[in-house]
Amino acid sequence: MSIELRNISKHYGETRAVDEVSLVVPDEVQVLVLIGPSGGGKSTLLRLLGGLEVPTSGEVLYQGRSLGTEESNLRQFRRKNGFLFQQFNLFPHLSALENVMLPLTKVHDFSAAEAKDRAMSGLERFGLQAHAEKMPAQLSGGQQQRVGLARAMAHQPGLLLLDEPTSALDPEMKAEVLEVIDELCREGQRIILTTHEMGFAKKSGDQLVFLSRGKVIDVSEGTAFFESTDSPEIKGFLEKVMKW
Amino acid sequence: MAKSVFSTAVCLVLGTTYCFVLWIVLSHDYDWEAIQPYWKNLLSGWWMTILVSAAALLLSILVAALLTAGQMSAHRPPRLLSRVFVEFVRGTPLLVQILLGYYLVANSMGWDNRFWVGVVILSLFAGAYLSEIFRGGIESIPASQWNSARAIGLSDSQTYRHVVIPQAVRRVLPASAGQFANLIKDSSLLFVISVHEFTMQARETNANSYATFESYLPLAIGYLALTLPISLFSRRLEERYRYEH
Repeated sequence: MSIELRNISKHYGETRAVDEVSLVVPDEVQVLVLIGPSGGGKSTLLRLLGGLEVPTSGEVLYQGRSLGTEESNLRQFRRKNGFLFQQFNLFPHLSALENVMLPLTKVHDFSAAEAKDRAMSGLERFGLQAHAEKMPAQLSGGQQQRVGLARAMAHQPGLLLLDEPTSALDPEMKAEVLEVIDELCREGQRIILTTHEMGFAKKSGDQLVFLSRGKVIDVSEGTAFFESTDSPEIKGFLEKVMKW
Repeated sequence: MAKSVFSTAVCLVLGTTYCFVLWIVLSHDYDWEAIQPYWKNLLSGWWMTILVSAAALLLSILVAALLTAGQMSAHRPPRLLSRVFVEFVRGTPLLVQILLGYYLVANSMGWDNRFWVGVVILSLFAGAYLSEIFRGGIESIPASQWNSARAIGLSDSQTYRHVVIPQAVRRVLPASAGQFANLIKDSSLLFVISVHEFTMQARETNANSYATFESYLPLAIGYLALTLPISLFSRRLEERYRYEH
């Protein structure tokens, strides 16, 4: 993946959402998972990594190059990537198909016909061909997230950034979306993900980062999954989330 | 129990009032012959009201778009200038604006086309109110939509064009339709600068025929014939919007 964070901070007024974080994500890491308690800085860090936020201080390097702070550079970077948030990803006035087509025609310069073909095959891939003409309000939460994934994947993004993509879903829909994400992982898609799904994090993550109070508490490579961590905070957190 | 007492009271009060008004209207000894010579004037006044309102509607949308852009601008001067204009319009009576606009501004510019002066004053007035509706509509689009639009790589202007404005238009349509109904009624004040619209013609008919009822009853009905369909249409839009979300 090749990402480096150099002493990066993001403050919102008095709140230090991300506080002097330094981190190296080596090239061989394909799936990076950010975990930790709510409000610990996971989402903000993901948004900084995706170029959706400008750091208050510090620097994000992707494949050796700084993302900088210029909106136009950041927009260029965002265009190469795909995002999916917890909820309200889709534009409610456009059908599922139009939602997937919009970035293809307006950002990636596809003709309407090409965009439609590509969007349809994306929707098919995620089992949504029958819902192409439906409006977001007519789709279930799980279907909406899958349309969001189809949109994020339609231009073959370099990085796919997922911010708690299943947190707003009931268990059945959660499973349906996690399966699709797992498939993308197996296909070799580079993914950065924040999640509370520890089972999924353990199974799919190549590198796991535990964040709390805006700081990186520990980093775990591969399957070790904080089993040998010394941090009482991580132990306490894992005990709590694994208990039920 | 209290509810049914209340609704009975409402029905009683309103029902009595309606009956009383209906009795006045029906018991009057009408002399339609008296206004016979002026029917043509009334009709042409009605038509003039439609023309003034339609022209002012189109122009007011332009004015509102400009004021909305000004009020939402990232720069302070356009924001301030638009705000001052909107506050002036909302804080003074339309009648005063018409008098000032015609006798002070238009006269000093040597502009004497009452129709167009009237249209411009009305559209500035309606545009200020409409711009508040537009602004409310745009600001009602949640931050998550902006977030999604940025995430897929849309620029700010693309976000307005493809995401924010299409959604805002749906939201402001009912209120804007209501504003258009107001515009039709407000155009009645243009009689003070002698625009030969509906109200002016009714006043003249009354002055010439001394038939007050016969002059003003068609006036009320004529306005209702224009505003009722708009009001019904606006309600239907509101309902449709409610089911869409």
